[in-house]
Amino acid sequence: MDMRFTPDELAFRDQVRAFLQTELDPELARKVRLHQHLTKDDMEGWHAKLHARGWLAGNWPTEFGGAGWTAIQRHIFEEESALAHAPRIVPFGIAMLGPVLQKFGSREQQDHWLPRILNGDDWWCQGYSEPGAGSDLAGLRCRAERQGDHYVVNGQKTWTTLGQYANMIFCLVRTSTEGKKQEGISFLLIDMTTPGVTVRPIVLLDGTAEVNEVFFDDVRVPAENLVGEENQGWTYAKYLLTHERTNIAGVGFATAALDNLHRVARAQIHRGRPLAEDPVFASEIAAVEIELMAMSTTNLRMLSAAAQGQAPGIESSMLKIKGTQIRQRLDALTRRAYGGHALALPATGNEGQPQDADEVLAATATWLNNRKLSIYGGSNEIQRGIIAGALAKG
Amino acid sequence: MDFQLSDDHRMLQDSLRGILTRHTGEGLWPALAEAGVIAALLTEDEGGFDGSGAAVALIFQELGRAGAALPLIPTMIAGAALAQAGHEVPEGTVLAFADAEPGTRYDRGVAIRADGDSLTGRKTMVAGAEDAAAILVTTADALWLVQPGAPGLTLRGYPMMDGQRGADLILEATPATRLGALSDFGRPLARGVLAHSAHALGTITAAVDLTLDYLKQRKQFGQPLISFQALAHRAADLAVEVEQARSAVVNLSGHLTADASLRDRHLQACKVTLGRVARLVAEESVQLHGGIGMTEEYALAGMVRRLMTADTAMGDADWHLDRFARGEPAWA
Ligand SMILES: Cc1cc2nc3c(=O)[nH]c(=O)nc-3n(C[C@H](O)[C@H](O)[C@H](O)COP(=O)(O)OP(=O)(O)OC[C@H]3O[C@@H](n4cnc5c(N)ncnc54)[C@H](O)[C@@H]3O)c2cc1C
Repeated sequence: MDMRFTPDELAFRDQVRAFLQTELDPELARKVRLHQHLTKDDMEGWHAKLHARGWLAGNWPTEFGGAGWTAIQRHIFEEESALAHAPRIVPFGIAMLGPVLQKFGSREQQDHWLPRILNGDDWWCQGYSEPGAGSDLAGLRCRAERQGDHYVVNGQKTWTTLGQYANMIFCLVRTSTEGKKQEGISFLLIDMTTPGVTVRPIVLLDGTAEVNEVFFDDVRVPAENLVGEENQGWTYAKYLLTHERTNIAGVGFATAALDNLHRVARAQIHRGRPLAEDPVFASEIAAVEIELMAMSTTNLRMLSAAAQGQAPGIESSMLKIKGTQIRQRLDALTRRAYGGHALALPATGNEGQPQDADEVLAATATWLNNRKLSIYGGSNEIQRGIIAGALAKG
Repeated sequence: MDFQLSDDHRMLQDSLRGILTRHTGEGLWPALAEAGVIAALLTEDEGGFDGSGAAVALIFQELGRAGAALPLIPTMIAGAALAQAGHEVPEGTVLAFADAEPGTRYDRGVAIRADGDSLTGRKTMVAGAEDAAAILVTTADALWLVQPGAPGLTLRGYPMMDGQRGADLILEATPATRLGALSDFGRPLARGVLAHSAHALGTITAAVDLTLDYLKQRKQFGQPLISFQALAHRAADLAVEVEQARSAVVNLSGHLTADASLRDRHLQACKVTLGRVARLVAEESVQLHGGIGMTEEYALAGMVRRLMTADTAMGDADWHLDRFARGEPAWA
């Protein structure tokens, strides 16, 4: 056993740090740190810088234009990026669709879509969930009917993150109602500029509209946009859920949140002294820090097992639960650290805000927004079900 | 022992419920004033006609359930404090209570100081300040009265989490009248904590009811969510905590006029319990709803933000737990 990074990994970390130092605009980093609205340009600009360096798709093999990083390199990149408050890479094209096309797409699809993801020609969003199909994703009803060389799509998707910026959506659609519900689902790529597609924003608790409803009304999709085989979409969707999940634990985000909490606790006055000196509050912070120390290593252990070819199983479910619990605890403690002056509403536009309150408002907005961590990507209850199911079988 | 409402209080409750179904927004304050609900928050000595723990608890619980966002709590605290100090209480209007300070959790006098008969510094999160006929301001150890148009006073308004408007107060050698030592105003402040706690209890019950309804109605995997034991048990835990919260409110309302040390222990216990249950209910009700629980359009959103406010106002659970453990009075 050796818990140290290898010299190569350390050299890689230095490269990442140097890159972040020179390329990340401090004003952009400030917006990320303060949970402020990022424009489409902000995100695309960051993607372009990473792409120019060949680092946009760390998870893709080099043959597809990716960086071909090891799991440990990806971990290093994600952790350093989070600590520097770089925008996170929008996952839908890079982390989600890319690997599916690489594994199940046709040669033509790979040649056409993958470069467009990298160079920013397409912005993808994920059309899985529907009003009636959340945790029970296989219950989805959005229909695609084959008519000649097209599919005609009717139905609704919802919770579509950043769909307002997207020109393309990858959807799970129902192509058959026979047999098991998982067996009638297909994976379809839909151009959102096609007539019949309507996008409606959903405002969330924190006042932002990062998710949308997407409606399909007789939308004609070329049959060549079907990925893999008809009615096999569930297999591809599951592949996506078990692979490509190195960052599911969010170690970097948690570490950045812990740093921030320490800073806030040193600045806030409690009983005439910095809050950080209060033994009760300090031990609450310490308890989360200790959890994070263990989880970080769980994360690395699982990454290195995967690197040695072990198939990922319930590990990603475990990391999802523990990772989101830790982040939500950190968010709650940060808000608590502010005490009586954390009552103002974030994201109020021009209705005013308290003086010098950017950081307090960020803490409130983060608390509100990060409720999503334990809901999306398979809720924590669904993850517990997966773990329990595997334990019961084993 | 008798935990039932008196006949008078039952009537008050009925009329309040009626008003809350008929009025929202602008019309609510005048309707409450006309029905005597606002006067019921003060004792006869203070120019009202009730002011008992039972009345305060019942009124704010109903307001919390209905999601009413009015600066009634500061109006009540300030009214009671002004009366106690022998000042006239402006009638039918909003009064403000400026307590929180930037840069500190709940210490007083960090961002503000008194100099003779004037105050300099900052207060923040002052509900209703923009409309107030009088503003009461705390310093390290005293309570002050500041007139809204006083020289050197600047207000900077903004929306707050609970749907009200608040403001920062910036005071530069602003003339102020000292009403007395803060420690002399234990009762008005305790009534304020009771009001916040009862309001939180109302919100808590509304959020838990909404969540239970949703669990019964929403189906996934062909079954109502409540049929999944993992979720049903969490709903059961919430129901248990709601009763704890209810009893903590009863404890404080029953000891509002007890001697200071007993009253303060109940005050602290009440705020600790309500703060913790409010946080739990905020987190769990969103989680049990799934995505819909995070949307602004759905009724839960406002409740969740009010629950976060409930813990934070007038000392959160951490603050009061600490003082309870040390055997300290509620306010220095
Ligand atoms: C901010 C945000 C962004 C999102 N982005 C996207 C996106 O880009 N694309 C997309 O397709 N989807 C997206 N989602 C949707 C997300 O995946 C779903 O919200 C999630 O799958 C849960 O579904 P639901 O909201 O319908 O809740 P439900 O499935 O109705 O669940 C409600 C509650 O019941 C629990 N539950 C359900 N079934 C069981 C069970 N069998 N046992 C125990 N507990 C159970 C859940 O854990 C939850 O607590 C997003 C959601 C959010 C909140």
